[in-house]
Amino acid sequence: MQFMLMINEDESVYAGPEGAALMEQVLAGHMKLAEDLVAAGVPFSGERLKPAATATTLRFDNGTTTLHDGPFAETHEELGGFYIIDVASLDEALEWARRIPVPKGGIEVRPVWPMGAEG
Amino acid sequence: MAARPRVVAALAAQLRDLDAAEEAFAGAAERALALAEAPRDLAAWLFVVARRRALDGVRKAAAEARTADALAQVTDMADILTLPEPIPDERLRLLFICCHPAIAPEARIALALKVICGLPVSAIARLFVVSEQTMFQRITRAKAKVREAGIAFELPPRRDWPARLAAVLLALELAFTAAYADAGGELSADLGEDLGGEVERLALLVAELVHEEPEALGLAALVLLARSRQAARLDDTGAMVPLSQQDCALWDFARITEARVLMERAAQAGRSGPYQVMAAIQLTHARRAFDGAVDWGAVVRLYDVLLALRPSPMVSLSRALALAQVEGAAAGLAAVGELPAERLALARPWHVARADLLAKTGRTGEAAAALDAALALGPPRAERLWLERWRAGLT
Repeated sequence: MQFMLMINEDESVYAGPEGAALMEQVLAGHMKLAEDLVAAGVPFSGERLKPAATATTLRFDNGTTTLHDGPFAETHEELGGFYIIDVASLDEALEWARRIPVPKGGIEVRPVWPMGAEG
Repeated sequence: MAARPRVVAALAAQLRDLDAAEEAFAGAAERALALAEAPRDLAAWLFVVARRRALDGVRKAAAEARTADALAQVTDMADILTLPEPIPDERLRLLFICCHPAIAPEARIALALKVICGLPVSAIARLFVVSEQTMFQRITRAKAKVREAGIAFELPPRRDWPARLAAVLLALELAFTAAYADAGGELSADLGEDLGGEVERLALLVAELVHEEPEALGLAALVLLARSRQAARLDDTGAMVPLSQQDCALWDFARITEARVLMERAAQAGRSGPYQVMAAIQLTHARRAFDGAVDWGAVVRLYDVLLALRPSPMVSLSRALALAQVEGAAAGLAAVGELPAERLALARPWHVARADLLAKTGRTGEAAAALDAALALGPPRAERLWLERWRAGLT
C-alpha cells in the first residue's frame, strides 16, 4: 500500500552560512535515502518544495474563490517536501520515515487512498 | 460465548480487521445457538464458521481475491464437523498490535481489553471512569485507525517492544483488576472464559518474551500472587473472604514460589518500578503462611515507595489500612480522612475501609452507614454476601 510521507520542517534552520552547510548535509541524507529505497526495491517518488514564502493559496468558500500569498496554514513548520512510497504496512512506512533527515520538524505519514477503491 | 477472546484474536489475525473479526464471530455465535446439538469442539466450530462467513463477505466485496483463496480451505459443513483444526493462538500478537504507538494512547488499552480479553464496553468504561458512549467512540475510532492506517498485523520487531510494553502491561493490569474484583466469577461466566486465568497466561508469556524488562516480570509475579489465593477467596456460601481472614493452607504455593523466582530475577536488573513494588506488597502478605503474621511495617514502607512511583488515592487508601495495623485504627482513620472524599465516594474500597476502621474505633453506627454506602454501589455477589453478613453482625 502507498503512503505519503509529508516533511514539515522549520525552514529557519537553513538560514545563514551555517544553515547552508546544514542543508548540504540534509540533501546528502536524502540522496542516501533514495539509494537505499532503490536498493530495497521499494517503489517511490518524492519532491523537494521551494520555501513556504513562494506559496500561493487558493481558498474556496461556497462558490467564491480568493487568492492568498503564502502557505495554507501559518505555522512554524511548513511542508518542505514529500515522498510517496509503496510498502506493506504503516510500520514499514514509519521505518523509512524515521530515516528522512529532518533537523527540526515532523513527518506526517498517511495512507494514499487506493485508486478505484470504495470508501 | 465460550472461548470468544481466543477465537476473535485468531480471526482478527487472519482477516487483519478487528471489526470484521468481531462481526464474523457474532454471526457464527448466533448460528451456534440455533443448532439443535452443540458442536463437540465449540471454539473450533465457531472459528471455522466465522472465518467462512468473513470470507463470503470478502468475496462479495470482490476484493483481496488472494486472501479469499487462502481462506477458502474449508467449504463444507461436514469438514467442519469432522476436522476441528486447532485454532492458532494469536492473542499475544494482537495484544502488541492493539498497543501500537500509532493508536491514540487513551484508546490502546481499551482496544486491547475489548479485542483480546473480550471485556464488554460497559466494563471498560467503568475501568476508565468514562461514559459508555465515550468509550464506544474511542474503541470505534481505534479500530478504524488499525484498519485504515495500514498498521502491520505482525508481532513487532524486538526493538519496538519497549515502546509498546507500558501499554501492554497496563492493559493486562486493568484486565486483571476487572477479573480480580470479580471474585464470584460472574464476569468470567458472562465471557464464557476464566478471565483471570487468561490474563495470567498472557502476563507470563509477556514476562518470558521481554524477560530483560523487570516490570514485565513484576506484573507476572503480581498476577501469580493474586491468583495463588483463588481457592481461599470464597467461603462455602459463596461469600468473599478478605485477604487477612483467608486460610493460608488453601493458597497455591507453587504460584507463590514461581512469583518469588520472577521477582528475584526482576531485582537483578536493579531497576524498580510500580509492578515490582506491588508484587513485593503481595509477597509480604503471602509470607503470613510462613511467618504466622504480616510484617505491616514493611507493607507501609512499600506503599510509601509505590506512592512515590505512582501516586493515587487508592494506593493511599491501602497504605492507610496498613498504617492502622501498625499504629492503630485511629491513625488509619486519620489517614483516610485526609483523602479526597468526594473523589472516592463512588469507590467501594473507600467505604469498606472506613467501615473497618470505624468499627475498630467503636463507632459502630458510622461503620454500618459506611457498609450501607458500599452495598448501595452494587458490589458483585461474592462481595455483597460478605458485606451483608458483616453489616448484620454490627447491629
